Amino acid sequence: MGIYEISFWFLTVMALSCALGVILSRNPVNSVLFLIATFFAISGHYILLNAQFLAIVNIIVYAGAIMVLFLFVIMLMNLNADTEPQKNRLVQIAGAISGGTLLLVILAALRTSTITSLDQTSTDIGLIKNLGKTLFTQFVLPFEISSVLFLSAMIGAVVIGKKEQTV
Amino acid sequence: MKAIIAATVLGVILMFAGLFVKEKKSVASLAVFLLFVLLGVNIWDLVTTAPNETLSFFNNMLRVDRYALWFNTLMTGCTLLYALLVSKEIQRVGSHVAEYFALICFILCGVYMLSTYNNVLILFIGIEILSIPQYILAGSDKRNLKSSEASLKYFLMGAFSTGILLMGITLLYGATGTFNIIQYTFLQSDMLSPMALAGILFLMVAFAFKVSAAPMHMWTPDVYDGAPTPFTAFMATIVKASAFVAFMRLFSVSFGAISSDWMMVLAIITAATLFVGNITAVFQQSVKRMLAYSSIAQAGFMLFAVLAVNATAWQGMMIYAVAYSVATIGMFAVLMKMKDYTYDGFNGLAKKDPMLAAFTTVFLLSLAGIPLTGGFMAKYFVLLAAVEQGKMMWLVIFALFMAAVSAYYYFRVIMAMYFKQGNAELNTEVSATDRFLLAITVLLVIVLGAAPNLILNI
Amino acid sequence: MPVQYYLFLSLALFCIGMMGAMMRRNAIIVFMCIELMLNAVNLLMVAFSKMYNDAAAQIFVFFIMVVAAAEVAVGLAIIVMMYRKVHSVDINILNRLKH
Repeated sequence: MGIYEISFWFLTVMALSCALGVILSRNPVNSVLFLIATFFAISGHYILLNAQFLAIVNIIVYAGAIMVLFLFVIMLMNLNADTEPQKNRLVQIAGAISGGTLLLVILAALRTSTITSLDQTSTDIGLIKNLGKTLFTQFVLPFEISSVLFLSAMIGAVVIGKKEQTV
Repeated sequence: MKAIIAATVLGVILMFAGLFVKEKKSVASLAVFLLFVLLGVNIWDLVTTAPNETLSFFNNMLRVDRYALWFNTLMTGCTLLYALLVSKEIQRVGSHVAEYFALICFILCGVYMLSTYNNVLILFIGIEILSIPQYILAGSDKRNLKSSEASLKYFLMGAFSTGILLMGITLLYGATGTFNIIQYTFLQSDMLSPMALAGILFLMVAFAFKVSAAPMHMWTPDVYDGAPTPFTAFMATIVKASAFVAFMRLFSVSFGAISSDWMMVLAIITAATLFVGNITAVFQQSVKRMLAYSSIAQAGFMLFAVLAVNATAWQGMMIYAVAYSVATIGMFAVLMKMKDYTYDGFNGLAKKDPMLAAFTTVFLLSLAGIPLTGGFMAKYFVLLAAVEQGKMMWLVIFALFMAAVSAYYYFRVIMAMYFKQGNAELNTEVSATDRFLLAITVLLVIVLGAAPNLILNI
Repeated sequence: MPVQYYLFLSLALFCIGMMGAMMRRNAIIVFMCIELMLNAVNLLMVAFSKMYNDAAAQIFVFFIMVVAAAEVAVGLAIIVMMYRKVHSVDINILNRLKH
């Protein structure tokens, strides 16, 4: 086993166990922290897959911005383990079984699919220069149009967040 | 292409209008005027494109054909009709009128993307542009707890289905190596790869969420019931029709060649949707909630167009989208005038306001699919498409049976208006303008039923 | 490393997210589980990008992140609005709508 394999298995175990931590831990703050750890593990995988730019963006955007927002809201609401009543057992078991069944079925279906092995030689498609070129030539329309999405999200946050004056 | 830019720019103009124009009424008038402009831009787009011409934009991100442009024009027309009919009610929802109209413009931008996309990335962003403003509109009535709950529920369901949609796109990418919908090639040797099949199933489930097909319809009644009525009217019509066109575009353009692999699953979804929508609608006491279930039932009929994968199906989808939208917008416009949304609230409307009752009757007849109305032609074309395709006869017969069931709950409203004693109370006075607009809507419904070729021969 | 390993890992993360979304009652946790699902998709997309040696998939991931950020802004605003009204983020209260 080379360093590549070792890091792959380490990151995989870390991602899976932290993901389980997210859904199993009682305290929402712990859930957020587990999710951040999962994101770091996924970023590690990105580096193994030669997606260096995405690895950094993942940490900055997801772990840095989005999760901090979550944490902020949770702190604002002062949530802790005691405030969340448990769903009844039946619903929980049903959820676990359906998720697990889906996983098993898909894995069984995809087990036989013939897929090439990834080579470990590093390529430079994941570097900023390449991604930038692709983004601003081939994908310039989605890039421009996502501004509409941000605009409506911005309006939404304002419309929803603002207190209604009595009309 | 011009329409996408125009919709965005007009949305931004409306946002600024909210800053400078304080009068709600002027903002609404401006919005209606801008929608007229948008309709003009759409028509401009339409007439400058020759029939049978297909244009590609931005490295095949968009593929614009005459069908898509015509669909966009009709949907913009429906939005204009909607804005004219309900602008007063929108002003009553809350204080951010300019923002609501701006969001409607952004939703239209999403509609244009969904009818012309040629790349699943545009599909994904289009669906998000369509959905995010809707979460906000659903929660815009902040004095009402039900509205906030509808917003939260819609948001969680929407985000969940987005995750499923993305998984589908990724698996398809893994199987084919492309995002371009006309370059998807599936047949490796003679067997479909399991990964592609799993991707198609994920996409089907995600779209079923978006168009509220059973068993992924659970959110629909609660959200449609809880959201402010003017916005429910928009969500149930234009947005739903666009989601259907996106669904159909992907499944007939890319997966049409392998339709035998997914047809059975979609047929079962269709049957379940028809059954659940129609049977549950029978038991509702509130007309608004009945209309929510009826929109699920109508989605069941629209699914036939996706199932059939032939030329008639495209025509059927077009006429269904328009006929259903016009009749539903009219019905909601009447509903908004009523004080009480239950069936009993309609008791004796015919005596109090015979004109309004007559209009309502036409809308309901169209929704039930009675001949000479647009709804009949719409149902006729989608079922014709399924018959032509010939593999799903049992489903067609089942659909006819379910259409008969649907007549029951639509006629219940008519019965209440004409044959029951009561004093139907109106929320607001129905002005002459409202009557005139409703009369135009009724005329549209009847014209669609008498001469469907007007919108089919483009 | 065969790409199948990434496929399995990503599907496992996706299903864990899905299970969480179905099992938990706290709206914020449900939302976090949905984010986990999106990240599972991102990971798979990057693995396929490496397999096909194609930058387009990485751009797609970029857009998924963009959309997720917009969604978070709106979603958290909705959750906070809800919390202001009922002082709870329990999604079971949503069932109150059914009557």
